[in-house]
Amino acid sequence: MSVEVAVFILRLLAGLSLIGFLALLFAIVWRSMRQSERQLAMARAARGYLTRQTRGSSQPDGAGERYPLRAITTLGRSASNTVVVEDDFASGEHAWIVLEDGQWWLEDRRSRNGTRLNDAAIQQRAILADGDVIGIGRFSYRLSLGTEEIP
Amino acid sequence: MRPPAPASASERHHRLLLVFAGMSVFAGMAAIALTRPAGPNVWPGLAIWTACALAGATLLNRYLPARDRLLFPLAIFLSGWGLVAIERLAPPFADRQALWLVISVAAMLFAALFPQLLRWLRVYRYLVLAAALLLLLATIVFGRNPSGFDFAPRLWLNVGAVYFQPSEIMKVILVAFMASYLGEQSAASGANPGDAANRHPYLPRLAGPILSMWLLSLVILIWQRDLGAAMLFFIVFLLLLYLTTCDLRILFGGALLIILAAAVAYHLFDVVKLRVDIWLDPWPEADGRAYQIVQSLMAFSAGGIFGTGAGLGSPFYIPVAHSDFVFAALAEEWGLLGVVGVLSSFAVLAHRGLSIAQRHSGRAFHKLLAAGLTLMLITQALMIMAGVLKLLPLTGVTLPFISYGGSSLLVCFIMIGLLLRLSASAAPRPRSGAR
Repeated sequence: MSVEVAVFILRLLAGLSLIGFLALLFAIVWRSMRQSERQLAMARAARGYLTRQTRGSSQPDGAGERYPLRAITTLGRSASNTVVVEDDFASGEHAWIVLEDGQWWLEDRRSRNGTRLNDAAIQQRAILADGDVIGIGRFSYRLSLGTEEIP
Repeated sequence: MRPPAPASASERHHRLLLVFAGMSVFAGMAAIALTRPAGPNVWPGLAIWTACALAGATLLNRYLPARDRLLFPLAIFLSGWGLVAIERLAPPFADRQALWLVISVAAMLFAALFPQLLRWLRVYRYLVLAAALLLLLATIVFGRNPSGFDFAPRLWLNVGAVYFQPSEIMKVILVAFMASYLGEQSAASGANPGDAANRHPYLPRLAGPILSMWLLSLVILIWQRDLGAAMLFFIVFLLLLYLTTCDLRILFGGALLIILAAAVAYHLFDVVKLRVDIWLDPWPEADGRAYQIVQSLMAFSAGGIFGTGAGLGSPFYIPVAHSDFVFAALAEEWGLLGVVGVLSSFAVLAHRGLSIAQRHSGRAFHKLLAAGLTLMLITQALMIMAGVLKLLPLTGVTLPFISYGGSSLLVCFIMIGLLLRLSASAAPRPRSGAR
């Protein structure tokens, strides 16, 4: 009698620990797949560059020049910036583009004349997408995101 | 700065995985001990298994922290279940199997931690292959069968009382040889293998020497009537060739070749004829030649969803259940739950192994080796599980990690060791930013 009870308890233990093993196994695989999915998305988004646009008659030199994006890309007039904007209407530290949670964000750094995103001045930080045009002073930059290498 | 909290959480999960594995193995062993009060002692086997699990996990944590963390728990879990099954089905063999487990885990650690091994396998491939072929030839001449019957296939070599099956070690060596050869060819041609324009000059150069190598080993294997191994080698070879060339015609052509070979073998070999006949319709001979497969199906149906319970079924109706038919015995006592457990473990093993291969993009040898080892394990598992379920004709291969058999266990663990090594040297995944 007592042996039967003990065997039954052991059966229960075996079954439960088996279910626990399988559940944990699937949880671990699920987590690692989610993680690699996120990392793939980030790796895809993490490649990008800015192209300086030609603009109207007041065309500055160096149109078409490309700037690869970094995790923090700063734009402004002073020489310490990643992208130096040689324009009187640009502030020394004008704006920056940062990579957060797999997204590129544009943020104005309290510049005097403001930063435009697709010809509209931004009030707060904004998520960027492929093909967006960022305007600083008389300059504008087209953003390219994607898997292709920088030429 | 936050401490690396996610890492320790996943560390905890993996430790918990081992704890669950240990609990289920303990419960199985204890149930056997209770239902068989007069039988042999089960505790040495359990103690050896626990020691192997702890030693393997500790040493791998210390010396190979960057490895794939699921491979070892899965392998040790499956082998623990194997020990329980053998303790139940063939108690006299259990202690011997436990000793083989010690050797196997040691060999796995050697394969995982010895840094030169992968390079040697690549550089000295002809030497290694020649040695393996020589061993196979020696088996033809000096081969024995531990059971001592005259009609049984003589696939073993022995040193004293220790028997070893050379066709098992051949699995690792052939995969390593094919990986290094195919990898070199695809690197030398420099072509994108998926490119249609490059297919035609590329294919014969690949297939020629390897096909002749294959014919040689296949002849030896068929000579020895080890048809399961011959089939396994050929399927894995086809899959690897397909992975190298991305050419679907290889799979179709290979399937055609297998069907042709099966048709020829059906008329030439009595074993094959028997296996195919009882696969098509076992019921007329349920008491005769199809007894084993019919009893296996009965065991599956007797198991139901939760099984009869460890030690409470009657798996002894299946002749020699501890080797090829261990899956049926497991299905009876552990039920659908146990079957799903074994299947999921192999599925996760396949997923992890192939993702290791995927992360080695650009290094053809490493990529093909990881894929080949995984495919070898999984194809073997699928072949015997489908055979026991009468989905495929029965091919006498062991169920990796679970079936009784020292050389099989040893080679499976060596494969896991190589996969661990490959996972540690794979290109690291891009780090996830600031978090």
